[in-house]
Amino acid sequence: MPRHSLAILLASLFITLSAPAGAVFKAPPTAKVEPGQAEPFCNSGAPPEWRQAQTIEGVTIQESRSCNPDNPNDIAAFVKGTNNISMETLMDTSNVAADTLTLTNDIDKDGDPDHYVIKLEIMEVNGHSPDFPGVVPTFDIAPGIQPSFWVFTPKSRDMSTRSFASAEANPLLRMPSPPIRVEQGDVVWLVVENSHYFPHSIHLHGVDHPFMDHSGEGNDGVGQTSEMDIMPGQSKTYVIRPRQAGTMYYHCHVQPHTHIAMGLAGMFIVEENRPNNWPQVFNIGAGQVRHPSAAVQEKFQQEYDLHYQSVDKELHSIPQSANDVRLVAKKMNQEYDMTDATDDYYLLNGRAFPYTLRESMITVSPNEKTKIRILNGHTEHLALHIHGHKATETHYDGVPMNPAAQVTRDVYSMAPAQRLDLALDTTNDGLHSFGSGLWMFHDHTEKAFTTDGMGEGGSISLVAYKDYVEENGTPKSHGMDLKPYFTKEFWQRKLPVWQDYMDGSLGPPAGTMDTKPGINSGNEIVPPQAQPTGATPSAGAVPSPSQDSGGGLFSGLLLGIAAYLLFQNREKLLALMGQLPLLNKPKQ
Amino acid sequence: MDKLNRSLLGAALFLTAGLGYTAEKSETLVEHNMLMNHGGGHLMDMDGGMVMGQNKETLPPGCGKISGDESITVRAGHKYAKDYPGTMFGFDTHEWRVKPCTRLTVTFINEDHIRHQWMMHGLPKFIYDKGMFHLEMTGPAKITGTLILPAEDRTYLVHCDIAQHMEKGMKGQLIVGKGSTPFPSIPGISDFTIPDDYGPKVADSVKLTPVAPVGSSASATTANPPSSGNNTFLLGMILGVIGTPLGIRYYRRRFEGMKGSQVFELLLNDLRSTVDKVIGFLTTLGGGAGKK
Repeated sequence: MPRHSLAILLASLFITLSAPAGAVFKAPPTAKVEPGQAEPFCNSGAPPEWRQAQTIEGVTIQESRSCNPDNPNDIAAFVKGTNNISMETLMDTSNVAADTLTLTNDIDKDGDPDHYVIKLEIMEVNGHSPDFPGVVPTFDIAPGIQPSFWVFTPKSRDMSTRSFASAEANPLLRMPSPPIRVEQGDVVWLVVENSHYFPHSIHLHGVDHPFMDHSGEGNDGVGQTSEMDIMPGQSKTYVIRPRQAGTMYYHCHVQPHTHIAMGLAGMFIVEENRPNNWPQVFNIGAGQVRHPSAAVQEKFQQEYDLHYQSVDKELHSIPQSANDVRLVAKKMNQEYDMTDATDDYYLLNGRAFPYTLRESMITVSPNEKTKIRILNGHTEHLALHIHGHKATETHYDGVPMNPAAQVTRDVYSMAPAQRLDLALDTTNDGLHSFGSGLWMFHDHTEKAFTTDGMGEGGSISLVAYKDYVEENGTPKSHGMDLKPYFTKEFWQRKLPVWQDYMDGSLGPPAGTMDTKPGINSGNEIVPPQAQPTGATPSAGAVPSPSQDSGGGLFSGLLLGIAAYLLFQNREKLLALMGQLPLLNKPKQ
Repeated sequence: MDKLNRSLLGAALFLTAGLGYTAEKSETLVEHNMLMNHGGGHLMDMDGGMVMGQNKETLPPGCGKISGDESITVRAGHKYAKDYPGTMFGFDTHEWRVKPCTRLTVTFINEDHIRHQWMMHGLPKFIYDKGMFHLEMTGPAKITGTLILPAEDRTYLVHCDIAQHMEKGMKGQLIVGKGSTPFPSIPGISDFTIPDDYGPKVADSVKLTPVAPVGSSASATTANPPSSGNNTFLLGMILGVIGTPLGIRYYRRRFEGMKGSQVFELLLNDLRSTVDKVIGFLTTLGGGAGKK
């Protein structure tokens, strides 16, 4: 009892001494984090004339109000075929190969070619290098974010980067794999030249194709049922003559759970047959179709392709984690477990916000009709919502819906691999459109408007009325400064989102954050993406086994020496033990 | 109706033609020898055959005359990756040596059914556009180009620039005269700057002979996954048991007839040189990684 009261006395003494009367805890003041270097909104370097409406090689090309418009020479090559354009136009393309697209033979004499030979290659972007810690060739989905991707690309020529001095990928080498357009009833040879280091194939999901071609070769792209996969260095020709039009899908069917997710998937559109109809075979980076087909132009002023994809950063760091193709194969096929995976990045046409605004805005004028083709390439459900508009669903999975059953609504529900055609009407009647403006559109699944959980990111883009867009594609926004979104630091979670609001009341408490995170951002010697697997558990697991083995060797060595010495001196030891009283006891 | 029939017939013809096209996988080489000259040493044909930086006449500065004519043949394809495990594409040779001012004719044979390149960088830009000499085509095919090499001793990077082809094996170097700094990660010639981590070594499962039907299953589960730590531990132990007597014998001979202080000094010296060697080894490792 007396001991107890002594403790209480000491404790109260301590409290009075440590907290003098009158002093109240004061929280740390608000700090301000200096943002890193922000990129300009538009740094594509595209010549302004690329955005204009124009005619090249007799191909009419619509205006593009986009920061990063498609090269019009590419469009001319993809409409006329590389065999039907001048060498000068071919040289002005983004390194399109001379044999990428061969269009011949007007079989039905209706003024357009009916035999298409389309050549595809398979490329890796943001891949590994054994020579330096960065990735090559680079394709950024948002500032500083470079997951590796595998893509089908139109066959190209020359370097895979923009120049010897640049690590940036040639414009044809990018996400997503390009939408491919052909005409209904045409004979199409789809040649896949597997220039990648793994086996691949093409499965034409929803596109009318025979299971076997006329030569008796499998034509379905499925290794288990149709034909062997296309090995690295080999090529395969798929032969089709699609009888039905519609928005379809193509993807690799080798280890498809990872290969589709890695980017080997794209839209495949069969355009309705019309006389003198020259569809634009490739739409690089999806988005606006600057040369819509004859059938689309009958009902619509313009057309857009939207390809939604999701990315698990662990999966997309695997090709960056080793150079030995066998190690990459082991990690991809045996160690990665997709059933435990979660998606981190959400892409629209290969980019995340704010980069989506550079290429994937839908620019419209009032009283216009726009055809929008959408592919849900996510691993999960998509719930697309367009602010300020109610568009009409006309086709699901490429099949037209009964006009009486076509629904006009503002959330469009899509299962994975599903395609939806929308008719967007910009008539300001309070139903189809609420009028001019910058109207956001996005997947309404909340995590899809984040980038690795940082908002606002993900697959957000805008329906932008032309009076709200500059000539070079910059939206005239009326809200906050978009600069922080164009810094790497924002996506590295180093910028407090609300620090510039009001008087900084929602800034970070001093001492809780680095206030100069961008101080080395101009320093490109060791880029932050240099450690490709930095955030993945596999990287954390790497050092521990090697330490283990070293430790094992050393302790084994010590034990070995001890064992030898023990053996050599066993007689002395036994004698010593014999003298121990404890051991002698039982003898007595 | 007649028109439809005709179109169907035409389509059938083309589908059958497709047969011929896909079946055409014989290994006959297509020869790209009808190239169109587009000026500046840039030759091209409509099947994707390309020569860039062709130069048979213009002497680089410092070359009074062409020192000699040489020709090499380079074969490329997946086949040539087999000698270098972990790669996927390759050249049959990864290093070539020529004298300065040589006029070199390169015949490039691509044995795969995809594009490959033999691309050289770093040549003088006023003679060679973008400083490049470049051969490219889709195989199986053959293409030839010629260039005159500069007067300086230098080592030039040669590679296939298709994404990941250099990284996965298609890398070499052309050494003019005495050459200059060699390139890393050339199959069979130089190491990676960033080596791959193969992780701890995994041992094969060992078939166990069941001792008793009851206890066998339990012993199998404990003995089956031999962790790598155990393996190296075992290795260390064997080293210790065998190495200790050898070490003792060696030092006993060395120290024969020495005083205690002399022995101590000798041991200290040994230790110092070992530490020096370890540090030296580590710095060369670090230096190698920091170079690029």
